[in-house]
This record gives sequence, structure tokens and C-alpha cells, in this order.
Amino acid sequence: MDFGLPPESVELAEAVREYLAGTHGPDVLRRLDAGGNRDLRIWQGLVEMGLTGLLVPESEGGLGMTLLGGALIARECGRACLAEPLVDTALIAVPWQIARGETGDLAAIAAGEKLVALPHAANPWVADGEGDEFASVDPLRNLVAAPEDAGDDPLLLDLGALTSAAQLVGLAEAMLDQAVAYAQVREQFGHAIGGFQAIKHKLADVAVALEFVRPVLWRAAQAMDDGLASAPLHVSHAKYAATDAAYLAAESAIQVHGAMGYTYEVDLHFWMKRAWALAGAWGDRNFHYHRIEDAALGGAHPLGPQHTFA
Amino acid sequence: MDLAYTPRQQAFRQEVREWLAAHVPAERLVTLERQDGFDQHVAWERELASGNWGMVTWPSEYGGRGLDLIEWLIFEEEYWAAGAPLRANQNGIFLLGPTIMEFGSDEQKARFLPPMARGEVIWAQAWSEPGAGSDMAAIKTTARRDGDHYVINGQKTWSSRASFADWGFGLFRTEEGSQRHKGLSFLLFDLNAPGITRRPIRQLHGDPGFAELFFDEVRVPVENRIAGEGEGWKVAMATAGFERGLMLRSPGRFQATAARLMALLREAADRASPGLREEVVRLWMGAQAYAYNTYQVAARIMAGGSIGAEASLNKIFWSELDRAMHRAAMHLLGPAAELQTLPDGRANEWLEGYIFSLSGPIYAGSNEIQRNITAERLLGLPRVGAG
Ligand SMILES: Cc1cc2nc3c(=O)[nH]c(=O)nc-3n(C[C@H](O)[C@H](O)[C@H](O)COP(=O)(O)OP(=O)(O)OC[C@H]3O[C@@H](n4cnc5c(N)ncnc54)[C@H](O)[C@@H]3O)c2cc1C
Repeated sequence: MDFGLPPESVELAEAVREYLAGTHGPDVLRRLDAGGNRDLRIWQGLVEMGLTGLLVPESEGGLGMTLLGGALIARECGRACLAEPLVDTALIAVPWQIARGETGDLAAIAAGEKLVALPHAANPWVADGEGDEFASVDPLRNLVAAPEDAGDDPLLLDLGALTSAAQLVGLAEAMLDQAVAYAQVREQFGHAIGGFQAIKHKLADVAVALEFVRPVLWRAAQAMDDGLASAPLHVSHAKYAATDAAYLAAESAIQVHGAMGYTYEVDLHFWMKRAWALAGAWGDRNFHYHRIEDAALGGAHPLGPQHTFA
Repeated sequence: MDLAYTPRQQAFRQEVREWLAAHVPAERLVTLERQDGFDQHVAWERELASGNWGMVTWPSEYGGRGLDLIEWLIFEEEYWAAGAPLRANQNGIFLLGPTIMEFGSDEQKARFLPPMARGEVIWAQAWSEPGAGSDMAAIKTTARRDGDHYVINGQKTWSSRASFADWGFGLFRTEEGSQRHKGLSFLLFDLNAPGITRRPIRQLHGDPGFAELFFDEVRVPVENRIAGEGEGWKVAMATAGFERGLMLRSPGRFQATAARLMALLREAADRASPGLREEVVRLWMGAQAYAYNTYQVAARIMAGGSIGAEASLNKIFWSELDRAMHRAAMHLLGPAAELQTLPDGRANEWLEGYIFSLSGPIYAGSNEIQRNITAERLLGLPRVGAG
């Protein structure tokens, strides 16, 4: 029994965090928003870091990491509000294909030459697919209508939900950071507003929410890696809790920014909108709630302190 | 990360489970906040100690088993799953014990720890004063040096179970005229010492669960001081960290409440509104999240890390979770919520629990103070504000 995160995965995630902080700041988001939405140079950078091959087996030219390692990277994608379809391709499609024994595309995906956007019945659209376009509130999200015959594979749904939860956690963490940074410099009544307790306590509540979502996320990822029968319950828990934390972080952050937060000029809006989008993707809050209720209240999942890791 | 228990850990769980099944009192004990119930709980502490289960993580020389944090969590899970009683010994084993291990001399360890582990000496905490609650540095009670003794004068209050306990630990002003955090020392004293008057205070539920302590020229030997003279604040902060941190409120307690709440929801399923239903399921999720978080912190500590201001996040989370779970139960019980004894003859544990849960956000540093600490020390917001 060891709930510690694997150090090599944490190190990689930190490297990715640093890389994205340096190359993918808010100025990049604004540039993408002004035109184009996608940038091959950003994609190439991700490929060079090996991220497209994160979950691809080493024999196929990848890093052969676990879903737990993948969740750590998806969180960083959320933190940076990354628009490139890395998560869909490398963290959803790859493990799904591996589970189905379809290894033909893996080397090309790892090399960054192939993008995969999988439809699922839970999603009425596909992100970064081909077809009739939908406009998302998120200006950097490119949606097209889903094919009518989209399947409803449960593993695919769990992969999508897990990685969405991870991104939501990263998005929420970034929004908290932005609100804290603003509260340190904005002055009213002769003081930085971060000195006012109403502001402090609001942001402390976000910190509490995040502290108790992260371990749920890691637990869900590990449950999938371990192939636990209860993994869908843990994934739903992670998605549900991450959704609430992200909404709380977004609403708290905009409040702390005052009218600034209500503008298109301040960076915060990119993160908020991504959070709203991902909250409804790969099973919305209702869907995941019902899965949890069915398992926990329905009696299939054992409750009580002696069953922490059931 | 490896979320499977080793065969050794599983065998340990089995051993704990079997011992508890054979020893946990079949009848629910009378409340800990009354003399008769307190005595029952102390008897249970001694029973636990007889099986060497008093505090499994302590070194064996002090009456423990020298086990690690995972084994402690397993013990706690089984303890709460078995419906075992509250710990009369909690101030000693969870707060003072670790403090003495960190700051005490070898003589103090040998003198105080084994009787604590055996449940022979029950400890009360004496920090708060009428003018020093959240602002603990406003402590006024003095301990004047007189040769190899301190002479204590003043008043402490809200001291849990001090009416029934044997010994107390507290912070006293040992340097005359000193201000705030300076000049305080951490002293241990016999509650039966001449000059101490205990006045029981009835708590919200009506039982005398805490006491006021009046000190009139109370003589305490210098060797009862933990760490140096004037170093009391530093020691007390460490004790407070233990209180908010890992030990005092292990997840098993809240998981057991959550499981009982889910069972209550099943019974009341046809009456519960959809909102209440979702609230209960969400609270169960919260108890699980608290458990995962504790395992994660345990892993961090076992890998050589430590827990600092994050303890404030914990304290906010468990205390508000506990209150919300009991509030939900009150709503599920509906008209029966007000009854001291339920129609089926059982004591209304939910009502008792709800009343107690209201104190969680107040004691061990109020949740407002914990939110200040979170904002200032974890998030880095400015310390002094025009609040
Ligand atoms: C059940 C129970 C058991 C206890 N057991 C013990 C014990 O064994 N030993 C012991 O020494 N003490 C004990 N206490 C006392 C406890 O430590 C104090 O109640 C606590 O520190 C708060 O102090 P106070 O009650 O004086 O409230 P106050 O400090 O007067 O606070 C009143 C309100 O003001 C808020 N407030 C105060 N300062 C600030 C601030 N800076 N910013 C924002 N809000 C603020 C508080 O959060 C609270 O809501 C116990 C209390 C309870 C309820």
C-alpha cells in the first residue's frame, strides 16, 4: 500500500508544466484566438517532448507510461489551457486502441503524424474531427457533429472522463493561481484586496476543494491501471468532484477579479470556458452522479472504513 | 503507487478485526462527557492497552507496537468499522504524546509516556482562557519561578473533560511582563494539585464535558516543563499541528458515519428529496476523498516528507464534512430528529452526533482561523488586512 505518486511521472509532469509555462502562455492563447486556433509549431513541440507517445509502448516508439502518468500530464494540459488535441489523441485514443489490440497506428501517433478524434455516444459532437461545425463557448475548441453511429464503449467513456477530470483539476489550479496573483496586486481602500478576509476565505475554499479532488483523481487513474471492477465508480467520482471544483474555482476567480474578470481581455476567460466545456464532455455531471449513486447506494459497492480501496 | 495491501498488512487487519470483535463492548457506552460515561471509556482504554492496542505507532518501549502509518490507518479503519468507543485518552495519545516524543527529555518520556499508553493517566488540554481563544498569544495565566518550582496563578477554560481527567498540559506566562508569543512555557500539572479548583461547564447537550480551571498559587516542579523556559509557543504550535493534522481525526471515523448515513438514506428512500439524496451520496464521496488524502499524506510522511500548513485544509474539510453528514441525517430523520431516544428504543446517536459536530469547526483552531492560515501560508496572500 503506497499512495505516493511515482517520482518519474511527477518529474515528467513538472518538466511539461515548465515547458508549457514558457512556450504556451496567455499571449499564445490570444494569438490562436485571433486566427487559426491550431499551430503546428506547438504540436511539434509536444511531439518533441515525447508526449504523443506517452502511453504508446516502448516497442512502438513511445514512453510506455501508465494512465496515472497520463492523468498527471492531462492535468498540465488543463493548467496551460492547451488547445492542441493532445489528450484526445495520446491519452484517450492510444490506451483505447491498445486495449482493443489495435496497434497499427501507434507508431505514427507517437511520431506525431496521426491525430485521432474518437466519437462516443455520450458526446453529441467530436472535438477536432471532420464534419459540420458547432461553435463552442470555448473559442479554442473546434467541434463537429458526431456521426450517428457513434458507439458507447464503456472503456472509451472512462478514458475520456478520467482525462477530462484531470484537465479540470489543472484548469481549476490555474484559475486559483490567477486569482491569487490578482488579489496580491489589486488595491482598494489602500490595501491589496488579498488582505481582506472575504477574499482570503473564498480562495481558501477553492484550495480545500482542490486538495480533496486530487487524490480522488489519482485513485481513479490507478483503479483503471489496475483494471478494478469498481474503476467506473472511481472515474465518475473524479469527474463529478473535478467538475464542482472547477466551477467553484471559476466563479471564485471571476469574483476576485471584479469587472476585469468579466472581460474578454483578461486571460481568465479562456480557462473558465474550457472548464465549462469539459464539465459536460465524456459524461456530464448527471451521468456520473447516477453511476456513483447506482454503485454506492445500490449495494454493489461495499461501504465503510474497512473498504477504502474496494 | 500501489493500492493493494501486502499479505502482512492483510494479516494485521485480520488480527485487529478479531481482537475488536472479541472485545468491543456490546452495549453502547454512556457519553464520554459525564463522569459515569467517562469511567466506562477509561475502562475501555485499559482494555485496549491490555491488548497492546493503545497507540500502535508508538515505539514498544513506551507501550506501542512500533507500527507504521499504513498499519495505523488499518487499525483505525477496523476500529471505527467495529463501532468501538470514542477515545477518552485522545488528548494524551494524539496530542501530548507526540509532543513529548519530539520535545521531551528522556526522563520525561520514560515518566509520562508508558502510563499514558496504558490509559492510567488521562490528560486534559489547558490552553484557552477567557480572554485568549483564537488569539492564544493573549494568554495571561502566569507561572512564576520559585526555586525549582513554578507557581501558577490565573484561569483556564473550555478544558475538555478536565472535570474527570488526572493531569493537564498547558501554556503559561513564565516571564513577567512578556508579550504575546514570547515568555510562554509548556507545563504539565497534576489536576489534583493543591490550589486548583475545577468548575464543570455544561455543554450544548447538557453534560459537563468541559471545565474551567482556577489556579491559586499552584506549585509545579520545574522538571514538568517541556522544552526550554520561554519556548512554549513553539511546542504548542507543534501540538496544534498534531491536532489538526493526521492523527486526531482519522478517516475511518468519517467513513463509518458516511456508511451509516447511506444506510439511513436507504431506509428513508421514499421520503428523501432528490436533493437530499444527492447530498448524502456526495458526502459519502467526501469521506472517501478524505481517506485517499490521508493515505497520500501518509505516503508522503513515510517517504521522509512532512505536513505543515496543509493541516489547516484537513481540519476545515473533516469538521465541515462531519457537520454536513449529521445535518443530512437530521433531515432524513425528519420529525424523529428531535427525539433523545428513537421510537425503536435506540439512543438518537444522530442528534448527539449533530450537536458534537457543531463544535468541530470551533475547536482545534476555528475554521475561520484555518482559512486565514490557508490563504496566508499556502496561497501567499498578504498577512495583515483591513478585514
Ligand atoms: C467542544 C470544545 C472543546 C474544547 N476543548 C478545549 C480544550 O480541551 N482545551 C482548550 O484549551 N480549549 C478547548 N476548546 C476551546 C477552543 O480552543 C476555542 O473555542 C477556540 O480556540 C476558539 O476560541 P473562542 O471560543 O474564544 O472563540 P473566539 O476566538 O472568541 O472566536 C469567536 C468567533 O470569531 C472568529 N474569529 C476570531 N478571530 C478571528 C480572526 N482573526 N479572523 C476571523 N474570525 C475570527 C472565530 O472563528 C469564531 O467564529 C474547546 C472548544 C470546544 C467547542
